[in-house]
Amino acid sequence: MTRILFSDKLDNCVAKWRSAGLTVIGPVQEEAISRYAAVEKGTDLSFGTVLPDRSLKELFFPQTEPMTSYTIKKNEIETTDFTPPQGKRIIFGTRACDASGLAIDDPLFGWDYKDEFWFQRRNESVIVTIACTKSDDFCMCTSLKLAPDSTKGADVLLRPIVKNKGWIVEELTERGREAFAIISEYLLESPEPAIPTVIVPEKFNLDTCVAWLQNPENFDSKFWKEISMRCIGCASCTYLCPTCHCFDIQDEGDTYSGIRRKNWDSCSFALFTMHTSGHNPRSTQSARWRQRIMHKFNYFPGKFSVNSCSGCGRCSRQCPVDMGITETLQEISKL
Amino acid sequence: MITQERYRTTVKELLANGSIKMAIGYRLGSTPDRRRPLFIRTSEEADQLVLDSTCMTNLSGYLVTEGLLSDEKKVGIFLRPEGIRSINILAAEYQLNADQIVIFGFDSTGRDVRPLDGRNVGEFSKLLNEIKEHPLQIVKEPLHWRIEKMNAKERFDFWQEEFSRCIKCYACRQACPMCYCRRCIVDSNQPQWINTSSHTLGNFEWNIVRAFHLSGRCVQCGNCDRACPVNIPLRLINQRMANEVLDGFDHFAGLSPTQEPVLASFKKDDTETFIL
Amino acid sequence: MSELKFEPKIVAFVCTYCTYAGADLAGTSRLKYAPNVRIVRLPCTGRISPMFILKALQKGADGVLVSGCHPGDCHFTHGNYHARRRWMVFRALLDFTGISPERVMFSWISAAEGSKFADLINSVTEDIRKLGPFDQYQQLIKETESPATL
Repeated sequence: MTRILFSDKLDNCVAKWRSAGLTVIGPVQEEAISRYAAVEKGTDLSFGTVLPDRSLKELFFPQTEPMTSYTIKKNEIETTDFTPPQGKRIIFGTRACDASGLAIDDPLFGWDYKDEFWFQRRNESVIVTIACTKSDDFCMCTSLKLAPDSTKGADVLLRPIVKNKGWIVEELTERGREAFAIISEYLLESPEPAIPTVIVPEKFNLDTCVAWLQNPENFDSKFWKEISMRCIGCASCTYLCPTCHCFDIQDEGDTYSGIRRKNWDSCSFALFTMHTSGHNPRSTQSARWRQRIMHKFNYFPGKFSVNSCSGCGRCSRQCPVDMGITETLQEISKL
Repeated sequence: MITQERYRTTVKELLANGSIKMAIGYRLGSTPDRRRPLFIRTSEEADQLVLDSTCMTNLSGYLVTEGLLSDEKKVGIFLRPEGIRSINILAAEYQLNADQIVIFGFDSTGRDVRPLDGRNVGEFSKLLNEIKEHPLQIVKEPLHWRIEKMNAKERFDFWQEEFSRCIKCYACRQACPMCYCRRCIVDSNQPQWINTSSHTLGNFEWNIVRAFHLSGRCVQCGNCDRACPVNIPLRLINQRMANEVLDGFDHFAGLSPTQEPVLASFKKDDTETFIL
Repeated sequence: MSELKFEPKIVAFVCTYCTYAGADLAGTSRLKYAPNVRIVRLPCTGRISPMFILKALQKGADGVLVSGCHPGDCHFTHGNYHARRRWMVFRALLDFTGISPERVMFSWISAAEGSKFADLINSVTEDIRKLGPFDQYQQLIKETESPATL
């Protein structure tokens, strides 16, 4: 016997969680895009898309975040620190790749300096992953040794049952159990079987690619120039990526007052490495694309023993010139 | 298909006899409905060339890649009429020498692709003038009508809603053949005119500055609109501004490689009804 | 109490040869005009970038006035002709994105038109006062959490 959350009870669950003080967040289909957003009713959630256009990362690491504001007076400088927003949240219906992305970034935000903006939100969020029963041409979690029903980064895993009637509930962590205890009255024992998760074909051999990337000779390979010739140097891949985490600290204001903000930044931009002198160590787009791939599959795992890619495929899906990690690693596998 | 085959042969010939060092075209993408840019330097690469109605990207931005044209050799490029207009503007703004560009023109109606006569940008002036006189009727989408009915307050709210989605990935800028500035206004910080942060005000400022900078230069190739990962209807602003310079100054961007940029020129009798 | 009454904040970008001299004349002629305008003097209207207008709004201005020499009178012969085209396009852009043209105004005022300057400032101030504060823009500024300092 398994415990099942029937979808017609979702409205009640959302209401229950909300009355327990949790903000309920989940995939929402807006007019222009789909994304994870706060909802008031269960019916506002939309589980039809393979993957929301925008990743889960932005709920933990927003595109711009205030840190400190300052006012300079005659004899003193007044500063006010911002703290990360408080409040418990349940994120219902993330995809396995998005949840994995959070787990991948955890060591990065905590290895020497513990980023309070990230961890405050991490500690107050319950992640409920729904296993995928659909995929598209760009999904590649299996190539990254993850899976459509990966539990990485999740507190609860839900497996859909037939006819979208609901989900089998697998609680994974204490935090998940607590959140689902709130709605336990809506969980029913039933023998319904789960729909098998989607089979995502493996697109490249990760080990071969990593070995190639780790070989120092290949750093200067002609391959990089060829593969990235059409890269236009925008940041849609990095900004939609659930694991890309680079940021820039910007001061905005004037001589007398202003604000310090933490903004997303991207290795795709020439300005990312530009020195004040005008010298740019990564002076070409191929060097920037190489950095992105190397960082994800060589440097990051070298430091944290995990690849900085969860296989969501957004980089390829949204690329204006049809590039992406998949193509690059496929080509590397062929070398 | 015939157009594609003919162009493959032409490109091979021109590469073989040294008339061009490279041709920029399209090839199959990662899914059946996608095309991706292709850089043809060899006969084998020419065999990958695909030319059909789904080839939409305006490739002319690649021509201003640093160093590409500095050896004074010629480069071929596949362009729709809008792309040809981009070449004219880039030439008029001294970003390239139009004689170095060999144009493989094409256009499509429905799924049919047809070649355009001519190789040098000057040979297309008749075609471009015709397009100016008889512009393609842009089918007004529901958004057009919605915006037309709005008052200023509602329009402000509408655009703020749209811009609030912006993540400042600058895909619009990078995809645009006209955005070739070495240092974009948002990358400058002395002084820092507009907010670099991606809050709604910063997003609004960015988009309005870009739209202004493109006024009278945009050819509405749609690169920015297609590139935007959060689907901001940038085409609406750019169309509006193109109409503005056409109505106000009879300026149709990219008519010839010697056309004066509209905002770097003036007439003594320009209308000024709005000036107090 | 007057603190409840809305006092518009207006930034005026003016050229030094005509409008600024006109303002000077208004002053030396002891003409009275509304104190709501902050004047920024520039060498020529050709120097007035749309960036300035955006910056003024970013800092919380309720209205912006741009003014220079009459056509034909430019100290640099045609700076104002260039500016005129730019304004026309920029004004249309602002209008399309929902910034009412009544908030961003343009005028020609010569060095001899001290009274026109005083009258214009008064009427512009009254117009903006009627429109009320630019709440929509100020809401955006507020969301940035940065202290606006106009």
